[in-house]
Parts: sequence; C-alpha cells; structure tokens
Amino acid sequence: MSAGPYNYSYIFKYIIIGDMGVGKSCLLHQFTEKKFMADCPHTIGVEFGTRIIEVSGQKIKLQIWDTAGQERFRAVTRSYYRGAAGALMVYDITRRSTYNHLSSWLTDTRNLTNPSTVIFLIGNKCDLEGQRDVTYEEASKFAEENGLMFVEASAKTGDNVEEAFLETAKKIYQSIQDGRLDLNAAESGVQHKPSQPGRNNLSSDQQASKDNCAC
Amino acid sequence: MESVTQKMDKEYRNTEDVQTDHILSKRLSKIIQTRIETDQEALDALKQLSTFYTENSLQARRNLRSQIEKRSLDINQQFLASFSEVKESFDIVYKDVAEMNDSIKDMTKRLHNSKIQTKQLLNISSQLQQERDHNISEQKILDALIGRFQLSPEDISVFQGSKKEFLMTNDIFAVLDKVQGIHDECKILMQYGLQTLALDIMEQMTLYQESALEKLYRWTQDHCRNVENSDLTDLITQAMARLQDRPVLFRYVIDEYNVCRRSKVTEDFINALTRGGPSGNPAPIEMRAHDSQIYVTDMLVWLNKAIVMEKHNLQLLMKHCDKVDVDNMVREALTVICEGLCQPLKMRVEKILNVPSQAPVLYSIVNLLRYYRKCISKVVNEGLVRETLANLQSLCENNFFGTLQQQVANKLVKVEAPPRDLSPTLAVTNLLAVLRDMLSTANMSEGREEDMAKITTCIMDPLLRAVNEQAARLPPTDMAVYMLNCIYEIYTCLELFEFMEERLERLAAQSDAQIDTLTSEQVSSLVANLNVGPIYTILQERNHGPLSELPGMEPSNLRSFLEKMCHLTTHPDALLLQQTNLLSSSKHKRVVQKRAFEVLLAIYRQVHVAVHDPSNGYDSPQLIFDKAPEELEKALL
Ligand SMILES: Nc1nc2c(ncn2[C@@H]2O[C@H](COP(=O)(O)OP(=O)(O)OP(=O)(O)O)[C@@H](O)[C@H]2O)c(=O)[nH]1
Ligand SMILES: [Mg+2]
Repeated sequence: MSAGPYNYSYIFKYIIIGDMGVGKSCLLHQFTEKKFMADCPHTIGVEFGTRIIEVSGQKIKLQIWDTAGQERFRAVTRSYYRGAAGALMVYDITRRSTYNHLSSWLTDTRNLTNPSTVIFLIGNKCDLEGQRDVTYEEASKFAEENGLMFVEASAKTGDNVEEAFLETAKKIYQSIQDGRLDLNAAESGVQHKPSQPGRNNLSSDQQASKDNCAC
Repeated sequence: MESVTQKMDKEYRNTEDVQTDHILSKRLSKIIQTRIETDQEALDALKQLSTFYTENSLQARRNLRSQIEKRSLDINQQFLASFSEVKESFDIVYKDVAEMNDSIKDMTKRLHNSKIQTKQLLNISSQLQQERDHNISEQKILDALIGRFQLSPEDISVFQGSKKEFLMTNDIFAVLDKVQGIHDECKILMQYGLQTLALDIMEQMTLYQESALEKLYRWTQDHCRNVENSDLTDLITQAMARLQDRPVLFRYVIDEYNVCRRSKVTEDFINALTRGGPSGNPAPIEMRAHDSQIYVTDMLVWLNKAIVMEKHNLQLLMKHCDKVDVDNMVREALTVICEGLCQPLKMRVEKILNVPSQAPVLYSIVNLLRYYRKCISKVVNEGLVRETLANLQSLCENNFFGTLQQQVANKLVKVEAPPRDLSPTLAVTNLLAVLRDMLSTANMSEGREEDMAKITTCIMDPLLRAVNEQAARLPPTDMAVYMLNCIYEIYTCLELFEFMEERLERLAAQSDAQIDTLTSEQVSSLVANLNVGPIYTILQERNHGPLSELPGMEPSNLRSFLEKMCHLTTHPDALLLQQTNLLSSSKHKRVVQKRAFEVLLAIYRQVHVAVHDPSNGYDSPQLIFDKAPEELEKALL
C-alpha cells in the first residue's frame, strides 16, 4: 500500500461519516486492503487510512479519516471535517434509522466543511437485499435533492466501494481543474505536493475570515 | 778304406789303358794334383794301414791285398756279428712294440667305446640341464606370479587376525590396496589369454576384499563414535573412505554413529542442565532457571556449541570420503543426532513461557531464539530441530505480543481524566516509555522492521483509542489541546525510529486537524476579546450605507480595536486562550497564535480599507487608524 512519500502530486483528505455500525470502517478497510473485516470493533475517535490512486494520469494520495459513529465522539470527530475535500456519508440500507439521521450528518458536514467539499452518499450493505429497509429510489431522490453523489455499495462484497472513493476523487480533481477549488486554502482538503511545502499557514485571508465566521 | 783301394785300383787300370791315354793323363794329373794331406779319408785310411803294414816287403806287398780283404772280411764279420746282436735287440724291441701296439689298439678300442658312452651321458645331462633351467625359470615365473597375484600369509593375517582378535592397523589399507591392485591387474592376465586364471584370482581377491571390508566395517561401527579420539581419528577416517565403496555398510556405520551420538549429546545436554561440568564447574544451567533470559541464553549457547561440535565431528568422520555427498550426509546425520536435544529444550522453554513474564523479558527471549535459530539453522535446518526452534520462536513471539497487549490493556483499563494542565496522563507517558524501550530493543534485532511495526501497532492502537476516549469527554478546546499534547508526545517518541513514516504521517494529519480546531477556538476568543465581532459582521453586509453612521462603527470604537491590536504586539500572549498556553509544543502554540493573528490582521485590513473609503464618511481616517496594516503585521507576526 505504502508508496514513496513523494510519488504523488496531490493529497486529498476524506472523511467517512455516518451512524455507528453502518460499515464505515469496513468500507475503508475494503478500499485500502481489499478485504472484508467480519467483526470490526467500534471505532474509537478516528481511524486513518491511505491509498494512492490515479485520476486522469495524476497520482493522488488519499488520506482518509474514518470517524466513530458513536455520539460521544462527535466532538473529537468534528475536528476532522474541516480539512476534508471529500466526505463519504454512509447509511445502512437495512436500518432505516441510519438513513433518517442523514440530514443531521449533512448539516454537520455543510457547516464544518467548505462549499467545494464533495459529499458522496453511500448506502452500504447492499449485499443484504433481503433485509433492505431503505429503497434505492428513496435514497437516490434524497441525494438528488441535496446535490450529493450516490451509490449503493457493499463493504462485504466490495461492490461499488472502489467506485465511491474514485468518483469522489474525480469530482475533486475536476473542481481543481475548473478552478472552483482554491488549492491554497487550508480547508480545501487538498495539498498540491510538489509546490506546497506544508499547510500550516493560511495564505488566503478571505478563507480565514470565513472560517472565523463559521464559528 | 775301401774307396781308397778302389781309387788306386781305378788309377792303376787307368794307366794301363792306352786308348784312353789322355783320360789317363787327366786322371794322373788329377791324382798328382790331389793333395793327399788334405784328404781326411785318405789320411785315415793310411793311418789304419800303418797299423798292420809294418814292413814294406814284397811279400808283404803281395799279401797286402789279401790282408786288406781279410781284414775287411773280419771287419764285416765283426760287423755282422754286431748287427746280429743289434738285430736281436731290434727283434725284441719289435716284439715289444708289437705288443704295445696290440695293447694300444685295445686301449684305443676301449677308449672309443667309452667315448661313445660318455657322449650319451653328456646328452642326457645336457637334457637334464635344460630341463632344470626351464624348471628354474618356470619357478621364477610362478614365484613372481604368486608374489604379484597372491597375498602373502602376512597380508592375509592383517585382516583375518588371530582367531580371537582382529587388530586394526594401517596395514589393512595397504592390503586392501594390494587386493584391489591385483584385481585390477588381472585384466592384464586376461589380455594375455589367461582367462581362467585371471577370473579365479579375481574371484579370490573379491573374497578377500569382502572379508577385509567386513572386518573393517565391524571395527568402524564399533569405534566410529570416538572419531574425535586422536588415536583413532586416522584409522576411522580412512576406514570410512574405504567403506564408501560399500554404500550399505557405510550407511550402517553412519546410522550407528548417529544413534550413538544422539544419545551421547542428549545425555550431555541433560547433564549440563542438571549436573553441570565436572565437580560442578561450570554450574548446572538449571541453577539459574529463575532468570529466564540467562537460562535460555545458557541453553541455546550450549546447544549451538554442541551442534557445531557434532558437525565438526561428522566432517571429521567423512573427511576422506570423496565418493559420497558429504555435505548432504552431514546434514542428514545432524538432523538425526540433534533430535534428542529438542524435547528437553522445548519442555524448558515452554515452562518459562507458562510463568507470566514482563514483555521486555519475553522479547529478549524471542530475540535469543531468533538469533540462535539462525545460527543453528546454518548447521541443521531440517527435521525436528528446525520444527522445534520454529515452534518455540513463534510460541514465544505470540506469548510476547500477547503479554504486551495484556500489559497495554492493563495500563488502560480505566480511562483517567486528563490532568488540569492537559498534559498526557501517566498511563500515556508510561506506555510511551514502554514503547520507546521496546522499539529501541527491536531496532537492534533481527527482522526489526516487522517487529517494530507490530510492537507499535500493539501499543499505539490501544493508546490512541484511549487518548480519543479521554479527549471525547473534554470540551472542544481542551480536547484539541489534550490531543495535540498527546500526539506531540507520541510523535517525538516515534520520530526517533525508522519505519514510522506512515504512523508519523497519520499523527501529523491528526495534529493538523486539532490545530485547525484550536485555531478556530482561539480566533473566536480573540474576536470576542477585541470585540470585533459586530464590526466584522457589519463589514460583511452589503448595502450598509456610510459606515460612520452605523452604531458600533464609531471612530472611538474602531480606535479601541486598533489599540487592542497594538497592545497585542507588545503582549502577544495576553489574549491567548488559557488552553493554548498549555500546549506542550511551542511550535504548535506559535502556529495557532500566528494563524489567529492573521485572521485579526485580515479583519483590520478590511476595516482599514473601509475607513479610508470616502463613501463611508469618516472625517480623518488617518487619525483613527494611524497604523498601516503592514506595520501591524510586521509587529505581530
Ligand atoms: N453484510 C454486511 N455487513 C457489513 C457490511 N459492512 C459492514 N458490515 C458489518 O457491520 C458491522 C459494523 O461495521 P463497522 O465497519 O465496524 O461499522 P462502523 O460504521 O465503522 O461503526 P463505528 O466504528 O462504530 O462507527 C460489522 O460487524 C461489519 O461486519 C456490508 O457491506 N455487508
Ligand atoms: Mg468504525
């Protein structure tokens, strides 16, 4: 998995959010290790994973924060929204409650990330068709209404897992190309590797002010 | 005398012969000329005559003739008589000679006979002589043949020995060489057409060879275990070289050797463990069983040494063997010989592992096992030894990681609340100390990269979870600072080691997230303290009309914002959050501060522009803001 540290041109930061038990850690594991973890313990705080992918011939390192769904870690996990270029919002198609909570997750995300953050909705556990509790159409409509990308996936079988992560990256990359995403902004969640030595300085006053405002 | 008379007579007649006058004259002259005094015969005759013709008278003269004749007759008669005697003598001689002749003839005949007989004898004897010569040469050939194609009784006794005892000496090898040589040379005999002989000899030699090798085999089998005994080494190694030609016997010897050495070395090991050296020096290894590190070290050192010795002895045993795969044989043999060592070692190591130990102790045992496993595997890497060492190593590794995990879990059972100064709790610093120690040791061990990764995971994952748990119970600012302090502590610990890039990357990213959070809190607090919230809100609004007319945007109010900013330039820490001051990393603190100030400066810059905008209706902008944003920036950052 690990490649040389400078083998890529961009770093994209992702967060994976959603209720506990929806399969966030499994999705990350499936994406980074191509394996399914049958009994995965609850995530405490955050977990971290990386993988280098390629988009339009560019090597991109994904730094992915897998957050804890448990309510008590909300304060800890909120720290990680800020710098995210992509947010994978996950619900469990066999548990309606996890779907119902999406709007609250979405609000959090919108509040804590910047407008260009790509939000991707994943209906996980689509392998459990028999226990389906949320129809594809319903979720699809919700995604459309909120301008989210959407896919049903399974961390168990690996269906659509790769796609969700890659599509998000493509969208982010497109934003960069279109100039919609300010690379210099700390909150863009993107680092341009060769030119930018670090991200610990705010070079956009505008951005900084907005950030301040959000609090 | 007769001749004189004859001559005189002749001369007389000559004188008478008239016809032959001149002949006569010649004769006369001759006679006259003749010098009687020089004619010895005449002188003698005259001397003789003078003896009996004493008187020169006619008578005498007339009688002279008769006298001479008479005298002559006498003399003749005398002569005759004398001759008769001579004749008689001659006759006798003749007779004798005749007799002798007969004898000689007889002798000659006899000689002739014996000559014939001798010749026969000579023939026979020369024939015999020839036969003898032939026989002698045949004898020589046979001797040579026997000498060359047969063993001497001494030779035979070398390997047959006396009835009771077979005495092993170097001679047996010479005899074996000889037997082989004879066997080989039989080919020459064959070439000369001596098939039967050659085959017989060959068969005989084969029998000898078998018999000698059999003796050699028995002896070697009895003595091979003592190959390191310098008195025997030479004989044993040579014997082994000979036995190579008989793979089955060779195998038997090696098998016997293996069995003997296996029980010997096992016994030695048990003795070293329980009894120690002669008169307890060195002390028995088990005496230090209470210190498992020393105990395991001693055992492994002993084993390693013993196994190397065994290899050495095996190589010695087969030193002269060039027809077998010695390396392979040594390897196989060692595998068998060392089998007996496995059980005692296994039992003891397992016993150690059954008693709970500290993770570092277990780790050092893991490393000992790995090290000696590697050493030993260079010598024996098959069979039970390999299996045992591999099993012990993985058992020990599992035990170590299990223990470490347990130890970490024990330290983290209850979630302590972070102290007021938001520094990492004791459990955290403790675990980091453990981690540092373990990594330092691991850093020097075999397969360190994997170990270090595993150890780090083993400690870091629960540790980070615990820190998250602790942080989750704090208000956001405290949470960010506590996380930053913990991460900083962890980062500085891991930074010291190799192979931590991924962890460090994660920690750095995590730290960035928390710095963002803290910065945001710090900015909020500054904005509140400087009371610029309303100003900023107003600035953001569109269509607000001249700012100077809006409440809150009075020059005095703006002036007090600037004054507070100026105060910050001289007392930069004054308005820092109490929590920001609790950051252990001064770098973190600087970053937070700088970013917060940048936000203030950005606002100031906006207000500055607005104040100087005539449409906002401020009378003397330079009196309100007598400092350019750049000036402030210089002073603040
Ligand atoms: N059948 C099926 N089970 C899944 C799938 N993904 C996850 N699971 C199971 O769902 C359970 C929870 O998965 P996690 O990945 O731990 O869930 P999470 O979202 O990370 O939970 P928190 O960490 O507590 O927020 C696990 O037991 C998984 O085995 C899936 O695609 N199909
Ligand atoms: Mg999880």
